[in-house]
Order: sequence, then structure tokens, then C-alpha cells
Amino acid sequence: MAYIEFRDVVKRFGDNTVLDHISFGIQQGDLVTLLGPSGCGKSTLLRCLSGLETVTEGQIVLDGRDVTNVPASKRNIGMVFQQYSLFPNMTVEQNVAFGLKMKKVDPATIERKVAEAIAMVELSGKEKAYPSSLSGGQQQRAALARSIVTEPAVLLLDEPLSAIDAKLRKALQSRIREIHQELGLTTIFVTHDQDEAMVMSDVIQLFHSGRIEQAGSPVEVYTSPVSEFAASFIGSYNQLSASDFTALTGVPVPQGNVIAIRPETIGISRERPDEKDAHLVDGTVVDSTPRGNVLRYTVRLEGGTTVFVDVLFRSFHMFDRGNKVYLSLPERDCLVIPVNAASARTAA
Amino acid sequence: MSLKTKAVGASAPDKKTPLAAKIFLGVVALYLLVPFLTTLVYSLFVEWTDVLPSGFTLRNYAELFTNSTFWFSIGRTLVLCLVSVAITIVLLLLAMYVVVAVNRRLGRFMQFVCMIPYALQGVILSIGIISLYTGTGTILSNRMFMLFGAYTILVLPYIYQGIRNALNAIDANMLIQAAEMLGCGRFRAYVQVVLPNIVSGILVSSLLAESIVFGDFVLANNIAGTNYQNIQVFLQANMARSSGLSSAIVVVIFLVVAAVTALVLKLQHTSQNK
Repeated sequence: MAYIEFRDVVKRFGDNTVLDHISFGIQQGDLVTLLGPSGCGKSTLLRCLSGLETVTEGQIVLDGRDVTNVPASKRNIGMVFQQYSLFPNMTVEQNVAFGLKMKKVDPATIERKVAEAIAMVELSGKEKAYPSSLSGGQQQRAALARSIVTEPAVLLLDEPLSAIDAKLRKALQSRIREIHQELGLTTIFVTHDQDEAMVMSDVIQLFHSGRIEQAGSPVEVYTSPVSEFAASFIGSYNQLSASDFTALTGVPVPQGNVIAIRPETIGISRERPDEKDAHLVDGTVVDSTPRGNVLRYTVRLEGGTTVFVDVLFRSFHMFDRGNKVYLSLPERDCLVIPVNAASARTAA
Repeated sequence: MSLKTKAVGASAPDKKTPLAAKIFLGVVALYLLVPFLTTLVYSLFVEWTDVLPSGFTLRNYAELFTNSTFWFSIGRTLVLCLVSVAITIVLLLLAMYVVVAVNRRLGRFMQFVCMIPYALQGVILSIGIISLYTGTGTILSNRMFMLFGAYTILVLPYIYQGIRNALNAIDANMLIQAAEMLGCGRFRAYVQVVLPNIVSGILVSSLLAESIVFGDFVLANNIAGTNYQNIQVFLQANMARSSGLSSAIVVVIFLVVAAVTALVLKLQHTSQNK
């Protein structure tokens, strides 16, 4: 039996169904990411688990206890919000101590635990600071300390890093992951950033329109998308229609499917390569965009379809706009995906 | 891994106010003070029929300060102000708890209800209250309690705006939810977390309410008249007697309001420092 179980959970706001019969379990100690675009229902599910929203139908079980109708203040769940939500009239120390005071912990223990939590999020020296004098990153770390100090049964993180700049966000991602491993705390992380989900998670639950589109480890979700949506949301997959793929490669593909192929699996060369187990197509480079250590080419194929090709950024090996190139599409990486979710298989 | 970051909002370099701005502020301040200064001067001289007044005297103030009716009027006005503003604040804080923590959709209804007194003429309000409660034999038929009720209604929109803006500024609902997740009940979170953060807003709006109660004549005269004479009714009763004395009363009203304002601002400053 899973530590947390969502059993056929439905949430409606008026006529709008935000969660549509959600059922899955989370194992104790896992860091699970609820990933999906804005409005897909991931934050609503988190708020239903926290008790800040009620469910319309279904059941939520936490550690064998039905918490569906238990008030938020009685669930022993920690939560970090996107907007920090520190108490402005309290110092960092007082903010972190607040939950322990609510639990009527003795003052000596409060002092010790608060100091430990503040040290854990690397805010030592800022104990007496008010939230208004802290940066966004510092505020979010104080909020994290406030949530973990009470040793909750589950830690919920609702897009906690979305208002923080890219460099600090990466540092905080690592810190959250480290804290999760140190404490062994079951953690649910909500994000719309697939890169963040890849870095943070043990398990990803990919949401789409109030339903779970796909669940699995980051590698599984990245390498084996089960639907057109999963392929487009994860990994910037190129998607070729069945007819285009057949026209380019001569390989028949059943209608109602698309071929998805990741940009980094496609080979690109000036000379026609002699590769086995790959479909060869020719095209013209129409654009190139540096993306950190990766250079992304946009290549127009016969028939007008364009695909992205990612290669490591090597200044001595570059193609210019207008260059004729050959692309090799490895057979094992050409995934046949139904337009509507189902299982995927490779196109031989 | 180090997560050291710079704090935002570090103190900005101290800039001096430009001379032009100082002159502009000085001119505006002088313009606003002219009516008060001329009233003050008028109250300190026997006559002012030429360019300059003549016959300096403190007779008006001596007469005023030895008149017990005057002190009672000031005292009644302060009590009216304090009680009605306090009642409004308590009622609104309770109502806004429901709006913030229980049903946010009631916010529009609250706004509508609280804006009604803006459109209510003093004469209509006072006559309405008198016709409703006079002779009912209840505590509400007492003229003093009628006045408390009338002022509670009168200051409602001003205090509502202040409290609502203060609640919006701190995202009160989010703070309550954050406190809830730490094991705190909603109402306790409202009292312990939200209220300390809106004290400043409440004090500022109560200042506005105070000046409105101090400046009211219509409600006080219609509802209580000389039964529970406030300072404006006292002023009206003495206007025919002596213009110098009337000016002295206006000066004292101004100074009392200024003193109350200074006290409230001091409290606000203290709460912000905390």
C-alpha cells in the first residue's frame, strides 16, 4: 500500500472539472513531481492533499488514514508556496518557530530545532531579519525551513522556485534535493518546468487537462513519451505526421499516429553517412541557435517539414544557413505515438 | 553548496530634497495654514477692522477654558469618536474575516454595503434613525446611543476602505493558508498573523474617521441637539454670541484633532517598528 493514495479524486469548480478521476499512489520517502502546463490541475491536487481545497469526489489516504475531510491544520503537512508567504511582522526565527509553537513544543526544543532548520537552509546570521529585508531566494529558504522544522508527514512545494532567477533556482533545486535526501521526507513538488522536474524527481506525474497523462521516472518519461502531448511537453520532441514520415523514409506508419524523435538523437552531416539502422533524409539548414553547450539547427526537409537537430557546440564544426545536409534518424529513436494517449512503440 | 545571495531593498543613498521641492512644499503648507492662522489671529485680538488687528487679548480663551460646557462638549466628541470608530473597526474586522478566510465572494457584497453611507445625506440618516428608534423604549432610543450608531454608519466606508486595502496589500488569505499549514486554526491565524500586519492601515483610516466625526454638525444637531452636545453644536450655539469666541473654539478643535492625529501617528510608527 502506498504512503499517499489518491483514489478517484474529482475536483470541480462550478461546471469546470479541474481534476478528472485522479488515482495514483506515492511511496514513502519519494520526491514526486507533478508536472504540467498552467491550468492542468497539478496545483489543485496539491491543495486538495494539503486540505486547503476540498475534493468533490474521491478519497485521499495519507499513511493509512483517510484525510479527505480533515482540516488543513490537522493534517501535519508542510507546504511552501510560490509567493513565499512569510509572516511580515515576524523575523526569520519567529517565522520558523511558528509551527512549533502551534504544536506547543517546549521553548528549549523550539530554540534548538529552529537553529538547526535555519542552518540547514543556510540562513544562519539572518535569524533576526524581517522578510522585507531578505532577497527572494532567502525568503523562499526561510519558508522551506518553516515547513520542514515541524517534521511534517509530507512536504508540498507549490512552484516554489518560479519567481527566482535561473542561477539561484538551480542552486535551490540542488539544496531541496539534498534536504529531501537528508531528512527522507516524502515530498511532492509542483512545477511547469520540465527541466526542473528532471533534476528534482524520483517520479514524475505528467498532468494534462485534469488527468495524468504519463507517470514514471524522469528517464522513462523523457525517453518514452506515451502521447503527442507528452512528447511535445517533455524534451522538445520533433513530431512528424505519419504521411510526412512515410514520404521521407518510405516506411509505412499507421494513420492516427505521429513519429516523435528527440533533437539530440538526430545525426547531421555534410556528406551522406553510411549508417545502418537509421533513416537517411536530406534537408537545408534554415537557422541555428546557440543554447548553452548545445547548438540547435532548424533543418527544412523535403516537403517543407522542419525539424530541430541538437549537437554539442563545437565552433570548428558548424553549418551555415542554406547548407545542404543529411540527417540520420536512428530507427530505435523514432517513436510511433498515437495522437491520443496510448502506448508507444518504435518504428522499425 | 553555497547559496549566499545579496539582500534586496538595501538602504538607498540618502538624497537631499531639492530646493525647488522644498519651496513648493512650503508654499502649499502656507496656503493650507492660512485659514487656521487667520482664525488664530482673529481669536487673539479685540477687533480686526483695518489691515492689522488691534487690542491683543486672551479673553476668548480664558472664557472658553473656564466654561465647563465647553470641556464636556470636547469630552463627548472624543467619546463619540472613540466608541463609534472602535465599534466600526471591530464589526468590520469580523466581517472581513469571513470575506478573507471563509467566502471571498462575499467581498463584493461587503463593498456594496459599506459604500452605501457615501450616498446617504446626513439629514436623511438622522431623520431615519430618529423615526426608527425614538420611543421604542429600548437602549437604542437613548440619544447618545443613537449618535454612536449614526457615526458608526457614517465612518463605515472610510474604515472599510482602509482595512480592505491593508488586507489586499499583505495577501491575507495566503498568510492564513500558510498559518493553517503550520497547525494554526483560521481565526487564530487571522488574529495572530493578519491583524498585526494591518494595524497601520486601520490606524490611518481611523484618523480619517476621527476628523469626520469631529467635523459633523448635522447628525449631532438633528439626533441629540443639546441633549448630548458635541463640539460642533457647542460652536453653533456660541457663534451668535461672539465671533472672537467662535474663532477660539475653532482653534481648539483644530488643536485637539491635531493632538489625536499625532497620537495615532505615533502609535502607527510604533507598530511599524515592531
